[in-house]
Amino acid sequence: MEILANAWLIPLFPLLAFVIILAFGRRLKESAAIVGILANAASLVIALLVFFERFAKGAGDYLNSSFEWLTIAGHSITMGFEVNQLNAVMLVVVTLVSTMVNIYSKGYMHGDNRLHVFYQYLALFTFSMLGVVLSPNLLQLYIFWELVGVCSFLLIGFYFYKPEARAAAKKAFIVTRIGDVGLFIAIALLYWWVGSFNYSDIFAAVNSGTLLSWQITLVGILVFVAAVGKSGQFPLHTWLPDAMEGPTPVSALIHAATMVAAGVYLVARMFELYLGSDIATNVVAYVGGFTAIFAASIGLTQRDIKRVLAYSTVSQLGYMMLALGAASAAGYISGTFHLMTHAFFKALLFLAAGSVIHAAHTQDIFEMGGLGKKMKTTMIVFLIGCLAISGIFPFAGYWSKEEILVATLASGRIDLFIAAVVAAFFTAFYMFRLFFLTFTGPEKVPQGVQVHESPKVMTYPMIVLAILAVVAGFINTPWKPALGDWMTQGMSFAHGGHESAPFWVTILAVGISLLGIFLSWLMYGKRSISNGNTARAFGPLYTLSYRKYFIDEIYHAIVVVPLRALGKVADLFDRYIIDGLVRLVASFTYGVGAAGSRVQNGQVQGYGAMMLVGLVILLITALVAGGLFVS
Amino acid sequence: MTSVLAVLTFVPLLGVLFLLLMPKSQQNMIRTIGILTTIIPLGLALMLYAGFDSASGDMQFVQQLKWITIPVGQMAMAINFEFGIDGLSMPLVVLTSVVVAMASLVGMKIKDRLKEFYALLLVMEMGMLGVFTSLNLFQFFVFFEFTIIPMFFFMGIWGYVNREKAALKFLIYNGVGSAILLIVFAVIFVNIWTLNFKEITMAFTDPNSPFNIPNTMGYLSENFRLGLFIALLLAFAIKIPIAPFHTWMLAAYKESNAAAIMISSGVLIKIGGYGLIRMNAAFFPEWMDKLGTAIAILGVINILYGAVLALAQNELKLMLAYSSVSHMGIVLLGLAAMNAEGFQGAIFQMVSHGLIAALLFYIIELINERTGTTDIRELGGLAKSMPVLSGVLLTVTMAAIGLPGTSGFVSEFMSYLGLFNAHPIIAAVGALGIILTAVYLLRSILGATFGPIRETHESLIDARSYELVPMVVILGLVIIIGVYPALLSGPMQETLINIVPRIGG
Repeated sequence: MEILANAWLIPLFPLLAFVIILAFGRRLKESAAIVGILANAASLVIALLVFFERFAKGAGDYLNSSFEWLTIAGHSITMGFEVNQLNAVMLVVVTLVSTMVNIYSKGYMHGDNRLHVFYQYLALFTFSMLGVVLSPNLLQLYIFWELVGVCSFLLIGFYFYKPEARAAAKKAFIVTRIGDVGLFIAIALLYWWVGSFNYSDIFAAVNSGTLLSWQITLVGILVFVAAVGKSGQFPLHTWLPDAMEGPTPVSALIHAATMVAAGVYLVARMFELYLGSDIATNVVAYVGGFTAIFAASIGLTQRDIKRVLAYSTVSQLGYMMLALGAASAAGYISGTFHLMTHAFFKALLFLAAGSVIHAAHTQDIFEMGGLGKKMKTTMIVFLIGCLAISGIFPFAGYWSKEEILVATLASGRIDLFIAAVVAAFFTAFYMFRLFFLTFTGPEKVPQGVQVHESPKVMTYPMIVLAILAVVAGFINTPWKPALGDWMTQGMSFAHGGHESAPFWVTILAVGISLLGIFLSWLMYGKRSISNGNTARAFGPLYTLSYRKYFIDEIYHAIVVVPLRALGKVADLFDRYIIDGLVRLVASFTYGVGAAGSRVQNGQVQGYGAMMLVGLVILLITALVAGGLFVS
Repeated sequence: MTSVLAVLTFVPLLGVLFLLLMPKSQQNMIRTIGILTTIIPLGLALMLYAGFDSASGDMQFVQQLKWITIPVGQMAMAINFEFGIDGLSMPLVVLTSVVVAMASLVGMKIKDRLKEFYALLLVMEMGMLGVFTSLNLFQFFVFFEFTIIPMFFFMGIWGYVNREKAALKFLIYNGVGSAILLIVFAVIFVNIWTLNFKEITMAFTDPNSPFNIPNTMGYLSENFRLGLFIALLLAFAIKIPIAPFHTWMLAAYKESNAAAIMISSGVLIKIGGYGLIRMNAAFFPEWMDKLGTAIAILGVINILYGAVLALAQNELKLMLAYSSVSHMGIVLLGLAAMNAEGFQGAIFQMVSHGLIAALLFYIIELINERTGTTDIRELGGLAKSMPVLSGVLLTVTMAAIGLPGTSGFVSEFMSYLGLFNAHPIIAAVGALGIILTAVYLLRSILGATFGPIRETHESLIDARSYELVPMVVILGLVIIIGVYPALLSGPMQETLINIVPRIGG
């Protein structure tokens, strides 16, 4: 049996779990967690088999697109699924992180009387996310793309009774939808320009010149707009930090490892189109590079542990976009490679943060401190996560981030290379700021709160992810780039030799990260530099970063307020001008009617006569209008 | 099967007959008869769907019955009952039977003048089914009147404080609309001497028809056709409604009972879209084509104007009324596209919006009944006391927003898809509506169901079992169409191929 042909089973299990929990959730109660975990584990097993078959045995791509979904003008639009190198990796990443998060949540959400609802949404999300990855065409991707968005919305708003959660859910939905309209338009244009939504047909049209270069650029940018929304890139990043209102396992799965990476996946999947447009790849690279340093600079000053991680996610996704924007094999490989390693270590960091919040009952890092003594496991895995994201040798992040720097340098964009290096410095600094403030120093948690290590059901998934955060990088090392070589097999942009990385890049990257860690240690570990003084020393810059460059306020002033005002004005216009005119006409008619009512004397003959008059008028009008009298 | 359409159309009258025989006090019996009677057309409509030949673009299940003869000079002009359906009307027949069956459940709450309630409901059902199954203008008009007059009473008798005023406004607007229709029909008749849709279409579009050859006796000039086109457009603009003819809808939806709004928003306003395709596009394809840009702009105005106004409402029912204006704009976009994609989108949108709007209003009325308000400032957190009702409300809201996996997406997608070929700039502007729809719907629906709950709303009763029926049935259809739209698009193909080439877009 060829396992690739059965890849459709992978999303089927979470779908079944969703249906079961939807139907029997109230009776299942906490056993809903078991349903979710088993379904994800089953998907993980098949995803691993698929990956193994595709990677180790070198099976070819599999494409099945035979399901007739809709017919338009006799033309049928089909749906199906595909397996290729890129999505084989994604399948493993998604099912793996999802399984870990499902297990972890059993402990984290324990005691919540809506636990079954949580698992129901989680299952629907995993199904949809796998759908995004398996889609063989853009329309199908869009369908699942929107579904993951709505799952994200539901989970951000899981604590629906909190006004902040409601606001955050709404914001996430609307801001990402702004981006989605770009994809919507791109799909509509491709229908007319290419006549198909299938990736292969689109790329064929790019390569054959059927799509003109301005069309490639336009489609590329429109698709990228959707990726900007989903992956929290500037200027549509504002929803992602607010999304932290959701339960922490959700932040780990959706808002760190998988859904937010869907934007990166989309750009990678459409890579052959982007190669056809320099303008589009420049946009991708510059938006990504700018976001990487922009978000990192906000992360420096935030006080909420989850928000720091959220800005860090935004920044790391920026790195991935930056890599893809390099429009080279090295960029493609490093972008997707970083997507994978980031999924592991960022999910880990969020789960560890959840463990901390679970114990300390606060999210403010300045109210924590000294937690390491009582939470050894959490501290160690968090430290591993910090080292990985800071790109310290030999943790996973080191390999992928260095590749990105090399690819960026090779693309000749020195400005972006510098930005990426500075962002790496920021990253190391704010991650270790989190680490030191949370786990070291004097204990600050109030007496009443019993700090304790989380149960095994929570720590084991973290340990699995921690192991991956250490070893995952070895799948693609400069001397044996197994993943990269395999990923680009058969791709039009594949090239034989490997990009030779100048050794100074490694020294620079690791050095600057170590510097960041050192500075962080001085300020928050050893505390020889008071952070209050630093904040004052940087003055306006500190405020700018702490207030997130006032982007939310700016959007409020230039979008929300004018829109509301427009609504009010339109409402008055509708009420008094349009309906006012109607009332005017009506009162005039009423006057005529009142005169007419004198004619209504209750005599049947009278009515008959009136009807006759009416009919005659009608007929004459008809004949005149009919042109019979005009010859 | 040959007389199925006549049976389908008139079978509600049988229920009316039974109802008249029932004593007033037998309320449960009246309800049973009323509800069961709506099941029969529903079953027949589903049979029609099953028996529909997708390979044919012609009228199917055609049947003629002798009706009346009018002496015209020497000749006797026979007006017959002519029934038939094609890929355009069949989905609307199914929609009508579903919406009416679901609306009949509203009667569970009605105590006052229950018999009249069901009698009027059934007469309206006959009218709506008759409109969609009629093959000639006269019959169309008669059935059309049978939707307006009963609705006037229906709105005026059961509802809220200002219901009578609202009903009168509905009647005046729709009366103007039907007066225009009557004049147009009369003019067509005295010129072409037929009332049959197909014959009229042939007369207007067949190049060999005497009406199309300049400088002959019967030639009908371009301006003459334009006049008729505009008049028809105006009549249907009131129905759809196209801004600025929408204000009847606001009062009507705010003041009348759930069944009236379900039927009005679910089916009646779709007659406007149906008429635009069956008459404007079929009779005057060249004008439809020439005025495509104008119709597209009207559509975009509807979408954006409706959306911006919906955003300003605190009253859920007014929000939904403006939302209807906005969503019906999408129908116009599809029609303005002048291609199969757009037309299919428009028909899909009529069915989809019919289902979604009916369910939305149904649920809002359930909330109104429990809390005594539909003002979002006085609501909030309802998901806590009514998780099932709120969950369904949120799901159907998502369908209205156009979430893939629901009928809302497929309809919206095809309508815009069509327009992107014909008028890409207008379509791109209209696409702003996709964002605004999410903004106003989430603002109001989340405002009602999310956030902190009021103390007085903490122990509201969640959806009762009979209240769940419309939710399950309608939501089920919305999702089935969304997941597998080929079920709906299949039967339309040949009909569209018949209609669209004439438009020449």
